[in-house]
Amino acid sequence: MFTCTGCALLCDDIEAIVENNRIKETRNTCRRGSARMKGAMFRLVPSIDQKPADFESSIKKAAEILRNSTSPMLFGLDNSTCEAQVKGIQLAKKINAIMDDTSSFCQGLLIEKILQKKLRTCSLDDIRNKADVLVYWGSDAQDSQPRHLSRFSYFPRGESRQRGYEEDRLAIAIDVRESNTAKICKGHFYRIPLKGDREFILALMEALSGKAPAYDTKNMLGLASILKKAEFGAIFVGIGLTYSIKNDFEILTELADMLPKFNIMPMVGHYNMRGFNEALFKETGFVNRVKFEGKAVHENKYAIIEALKNKSIDALVVVGSDPVLSLPRSVIAHLPSIPVVCIDPCQTFTSKIAAVNIPCAASGVESAGSAVRMDGKVIGLKKIIENNYLTDEDILKRLMEAV
Amino acid sequence: MGIDIGKFLKNPEFEILITTYRDIFQVEALERDRFGEDYKKLSAVITMSKNDMQKMGFKSGDRVKLSNNYGSVVVEVKESKKNEPGGLAFMINSPWSNILISGETDGKGIPEFKHITAKISLSKEEITPVTEITFHK
Repeated sequence: MFTCTGCALLCDDIEAIVENNRIKETRNTCRRGSARMKGAMFRLVPSIDQKPADFESSIKKAAEILRNSTSPMLFGLDNSTCEAQVKGIQLAKKINAIMDDTSSFCQGLLIEKILQKKLRTCSLDDIRNKADVLVYWGSDAQDSQPRHLSRFSYFPRGESRQRGYEEDRLAIAIDVRESNTAKICKGHFYRIPLKGDREFILALMEALSGKAPAYDTKNMLGLASILKKAEFGAIFVGIGLTYSIKNDFEILTELADMLPKFNIMPMVGHYNMRGFNEALFKETGFVNRVKFEGKAVHENKYAIIEALKNKSIDALVVVGSDPVLSLPRSVIAHLPSIPVVCIDPCQTFTSKIAAVNIPCAASGVESAGSAVRMDGKVIGLKKIIENNYLTDEDILKRLMEAV
Repeated sequence: MGIDIGKFLKNPEFEILITTYRDIFQVEALERDRFGEDYKKLSAVITMSKNDMQKMGFKSGDRVKLSNNYGSVVVEVKESKKNEPGGLAFMINSPWSNILISGETDGKGIPEFKHITAKISLSKEEITPVTEITFHK
């Protein structure tokens, strides 16, 4: 059995059929996991200034870029093993770099609260064994973490939930659209206006405290009644909710305080984003947006979005991420004017504009290691295919030696 | 929605509110080949309710231009298969939606990826090639 790196569920029941040293077929994976394990069509090749180069020259050039930089940033590592993340932090410390990752504009706010123990949480195994009320809030797990409902939450039998979804479990969706997850939550889909989450939470809190909320009174009292009766509940917080309440995130803590039987689960996309957050938190007390300068300093200006907008970085090392694809175009405009070093198994939009490209092994397929599941459990990754690609951990180590 | 003025223009323009979401088929295409036609075909799309499509005179398969202060992009419009009440359109998160996202964050580092306002109108232009959005040649 192998572990899938398609998302932060890290499904560890995967079978792979290998032919000619490539994964020909996978079993038990979702569509995303299967595509990821089979690998992208276009492999990254070492290059300097978009011209093919040998591997050693690429490392040397990347080190030169970092030596000449007065304000470098190391970004990514959410699709890297825990071991590579530790190495990345060491490199950032050595060169006094700014360090940030995708969580900075994704689930970082939520994971930080969980690591600070300001929100109650539990394991996915607890949910499978005990949960009776499941709330998908701003989260379309069916499309983003497709095996969430079947492996852990709604469909499986659990120790105290022998009759699964038919009798023992109730799933609720709160969303701005009727997502594929909302479709499964028949009769318990609450459609809210865009950015209506705060108002919905306030009304729900009123209903939970026995008052009749002005907002959607009947539905809100019904929902409060279901939540109050729960024996073991879970709120799966998607980025839909996180984005919507980002300026008043405490409101989620206030709601959680009124629901003592509920646990908060961050719905994480990248397979080891939580691992990155945990590693940096352990090292610095912060989950992202850190500058190392003897000590670690945390400020919003060290978020990749702000650093690019303010043009405050003069070199960027990207590991296993594609900011040119994922960031607003208005923000990435600064990127082509600074040297970018891209470390990735495959070609990306970022690699197409990078000054230096360094290919690495695809973790969980071509290299082993460990990763942190969305609930904080450490899961082992195995190597399935043998080849000569260095891991991103090895490349970061080489860079550290060379700078 | 500017309908009255729009009647007198060749391609009337409408204000539209858009949110973004994730789609398993699109992310599968992304993992396989982010430069390929499948990824483009699944990404460069805006989905709207039947009501909104009728109001604006669009039919599935039409090309539309979306524009705001941050950029403009040509995508295909499709009618939602779901029972959407209207007033909100949907794009899968991709470079084609990212072109319309404001970089304004109040210094807090999180753009409004799921809250886009734009103008929409029928277009005869081709779907915007990804290379125009992502700088690569």
